[in-house]
Amino acid sequence: MSIRLNLTENKKINAGITVFPGSNCDMDVYYALKNVFNLNVSFLWHKDEFHNFKNYDFIVIPGGFSYGDYLRAGALAARSRVMKSIKEYADGGGIVLGICNGFQILLESGLLKGAMLTNKSLKFECRDVYIKNISGNNFNKNNNGSNNNGNNNKSDSNNSNGNNNRSGNNNSSENPFTCLIEKDAVLKLPIAHHDGNYFAENNELEDLLSSGHVAFQYCNEDGVVADDSNPNGSLKNIGGLFGENFNVMGLMPHPERASEKILGSDDGAKIFNSIIYYIKNK
Amino acid sequence: MLITDNGSADNSYKSDNDGSGNYIDDANAPVHLPIDKDYAQFGLSFEEYKKINDILKKEPDDFEMGIFSAMWSEHCSYKSTKIHLKNLPSKGEAVLIGPGENAGVIEFDGVNVLVFKMESHNHPSFIEPFEGAATGVGGIMRDIFTMGARPIANLNSLRFGNFNHPRTPYYLSEVVKGIGFYGNCMGVPTVGGEVVFDSCYDNNILVNAFTMGIAKKDAIFLSSACEEGNLVVYVGSATGMDGINGATMASGEFDSSKANKRSTVQVGDPFTEKLLLEACLEAMDKKLIVSIQDMGAAGLTSSSFEMSENSGKGMILNMDKIPLRAANMTPLDIMLSESQERMLIACKKEKYDELEGIFKKWDLNCVIIGEVTKEKTIQFIYKSKPYHTLPVESVVNGPSYDRPSAVPLYIKDVKQFLPDEYRMPKNFNSVAERIISHPNIASKHFIYRQYDYQIGTNTLACPGSSCAVLRYKEFNAPTEPANSVNPADLNSGIILNSNCNSKYCYLNPYKGAMLAVIECARNISACGGTPVAITDCLNFASPEDPEIMWQFKEAIKGITDAALKFNTPAVSGNVSLYNETAGAGKIYPTPVIAMVGYINDAGKAVNSTYKDEGDNVYLLGRLSGNLGGSLFMELVHNDFMQEPLSIDIDYELKLQNCLRGLIEGKLLKSAADISEGGLFTAVAEQAILSDKNLGVIAEVHKDGLRNDMLLFSEFEQAFVISANPSNEHKIYEFVKNAGIEIEKIGTVVKDIIKFNNIIELKSGKIKERYYNAVEKLFDK
Repeated sequence: MSIRLNLTENKKINAGITVFPGSNCDMDVYYALKNVFNLNVSFLWHKDEFHNFKNYDFIVIPGGFSYGDYLRAGALAARSRVMKSIKEYADGGGIVLGICNGFQILLESGLLKGAMLTNKSLKFECRDVYIKNISGNNFNKNNNGSNNNGNNNKSDSNNSNGNNNRSGNNNSSENPFTCLIEKDAVLKLPIAHHDGNYFAENNELEDLLSSGHVAFQYCNEDGVVADDSNPNGSLKNIGGLFGENFNVMGLMPHPERASEKILGSDDGAKIFNSIIYYIKNK
Repeated sequence: MLITDNGSADNSYKSDNDGSGNYIDDANAPVHLPIDKDYAQFGLSFEEYKKINDILKKEPDDFEMGIFSAMWSEHCSYKSTKIHLKNLPSKGEAVLIGPGENAGVIEFDGVNVLVFKMESHNHPSFIEPFEGAATGVGGIMRDIFTMGARPIANLNSLRFGNFNHPRTPYYLSEVVKGIGFYGNCMGVPTVGGEVVFDSCYDNNILVNAFTMGIAKKDAIFLSSACEEGNLVVYVGSATGMDGINGATMASGEFDSSKANKRSTVQVGDPFTEKLLLEACLEAMDKKLIVSIQDMGAAGLTSSSFEMSENSGKGMILNMDKIPLRAANMTPLDIMLSESQERMLIACKKEKYDELEGIFKKWDLNCVIIGEVTKEKTIQFIYKSKPYHTLPVESVVNGPSYDRPSAVPLYIKDVKQFLPDEYRMPKNFNSVAERIISHPNIASKHFIYRQYDYQIGTNTLACPGSSCAVLRYKEFNAPTEPANSVNPADLNSGIILNSNCNSKYCYLNPYKGAMLAVIECARNISACGGTPVAITDCLNFASPEDPEIMWQFKEAIKGITDAALKFNTPAVSGNVSLYNETAGAGKIYPTPVIAMVGYINDAGKAVNSTYKDEGDNVYLLGRLSGNLGGSLFMELVHNDFMQEPLSIDIDYELKLQNCLRGLIEGKLLKSAADISEGGLFTAVAEQAILSDKNLGVIAEVHKDGLRNDMLLFSEFEQAFVISANPSNEHKIYEFVKNAGIEIEKIGTVVKDIIKFNNIIELKSGKIKERYYNAVEKLFDK
């Protein structure tokens, strides 16, 4: 795999995964981060606040049906104790990736703008889709390109345990989630959701697009963004969205289900490797 | 109508207590009613009623009648089928636990075991398809995690009425929604299954759900391990008025004006079940549970009586302690409620606090409701006073009948297939298109896309393939992943599929049931796997009809003979009877088989899609050309009443071994067996399923066989395989040594599907028809 980083070094990276009642992709994310990327992974229980922010280089809010998706998908989880801490963590610059239900929770908690409606088909949709990275020029290019073996990634790990210095990001070019992914690159990832139909008010939507806060758009295999490649009716085909300071991302498809070749695609690894690379180099 | 859950009840063999199932009249019974007891309203025969009098040495009251009637119902007691079910082979090297527990258990890799079973939820799904299907899926998953196994895969086998029946779209969409609702939320992937449309299911749809779980071999939990002095603990949802036995509902003790208005179909809450799953597995992991059973069919009654009977013990049950969610429930309501997402646990006194801690952590009820006793009775306490005491053994061991059977009248209309009686169709293109776009052949992606089939990140071959292929990955693997080795290369795999062609079973239940087993094995072999074990879900009409009983007995024989040959014991199963509606016909016998197979290296599994232009296509095996009972005969000649051809099972074994060897040797790119739709479908479908718009040009000729017989006959012991031409020599040599026939019949090309110069179709166009056929149902 061309973009796999030095795995031994990865062990120093600490990832947290939230567990809500009804989370069901928590173990899949755990497996991918621990067994595929060799990170140091731990769980964050929904009933507990946490304040030891330095213990987490990044946090994943995994998919599932938190609190049974009662009321609205993500609505109850957004008001849990652990999310109170995650909001503080994110406000301090901590990296947070919300996948599927995690995306919905981020929207409900106000860390991302907009809302999720029921899929246009009114059905649960499970299948492979293509998404295009439309976030700005990447971090990787300023860093001498090659990253095959991680040898050139050792340089700067001073900040790998701290989150406090990162809140200053104000453009997408240095975001942790796509920094190893070429602009306009197409990724093949699976979706599995009932409420992934992204919605935002008109002016808000324009702002998000013009300010580079849209990370990924659903597209076809060739990268064409069109209605027939939109699996759920999302406005502007939005499948991935950054938070205000680019340290938070919501992603409707599941990168953890596409991080190994045997599963039909390892494009999801590009997102995790970006995060890992960013943490090591920032 | 009486609706119950499919869970619990008799041990591994259960029926879903379909409809009128409990209302069995004994033809020999005197017509007068004894005293004032209307035993028929409890679904009991006069003989059964007399037997209860003998057991209790008194006239039973309504509570006692309610308990007996539930436990002696067809679904709990298997009274019509148990003498036949015991003939099924259930032993084998791989079998750790066969029928008799909540599910069957087979060896996997020495450390882990697989736990699986299939169950029906037919009648509830016909009345309320969404909730019926959802709770069917919920019930079977509970049976699996009750044993300490984490569910890792679901299959479902669905039968709907004629595609053009006005109610079919409703049933299809609601059942699929229900299955997705429950399985998706639980986080258990629905990796495969089958969907068949046929008029015989117009008034009786079938919903059969299969779950497989994985557990550590030394950490299996049973219902038979209760020890004297253990606390009896109730966990999960509170008990409500849902799903209460229809028979008792009509009895005088209840306020019938109210009760009759209540739904008898249970309402499922997958969110609670997900919590129950995590809490139970956590408690099991910490060894806090001695014995456990889920409360499924006949609720608290079957779980308490069966745990006691299986353990050779009894229980004190305090009805005052049961968590309730409805007011004014009588003790019998409580005992017969089939509220979902509940478990009964026996736990050591000193471990209780820790157990309670876990369930509280997951925000679930956890209440001590009694104690395990040495006396083999259930002693009920109600309003702090002794209420009833019932003997465990007599309640659990209900009656058993050897019901009369007779060859059905229609069997004489089943003729040998004689080609001269049928003219060849003129336009083969149109026949080919009709077959490919027939809803029983066409893609079911409209359906399976509503199921999360990838969660768990084990699914290597997803729905739409002939089998589901799962990798097995060790969690928390202690070894560090190596940079150079794809960890998946080391993974062993599990292959699953389910099958039953009920039309064949109608024409000849022995051969049809046998073919269901063989077809499962074919699909597994075509992926490169070895069949290991089966579970069955036997759906039939009323056993009180001797013709149906004959079908049942023949089907059991067919399954037995095939399972013995393939060394695939039946480790668990379920019976669903009374799948008929008065005046509207009976279903065809539908003994659904689900088979589990293994493959040493999941990375070597092949699927049934062509891969590259220029590859060779071969026919492996031999052709009979017998069109009897085929989809072609039904579609083209509107007459499928022909005898299915006998299968040469020894040849079949040799053939499948040969195919497996070719795949193991990495010589093939794809493989598909010949089944419904015949050779043409096996050849064309592999092009349609390819994602590169591939096509195929094929040519097959055989002396004495007309084109329609060659292309559409279904009773064929043959596979269609594709391979790189450079492997031809190796393939031929291997196949020759195996004593099997092989013939090159075609080449993979682009864009076009051509067969014997009589069929020529554009791949793109036929692909569209294949993928849109089922969805079209909703366009009307």
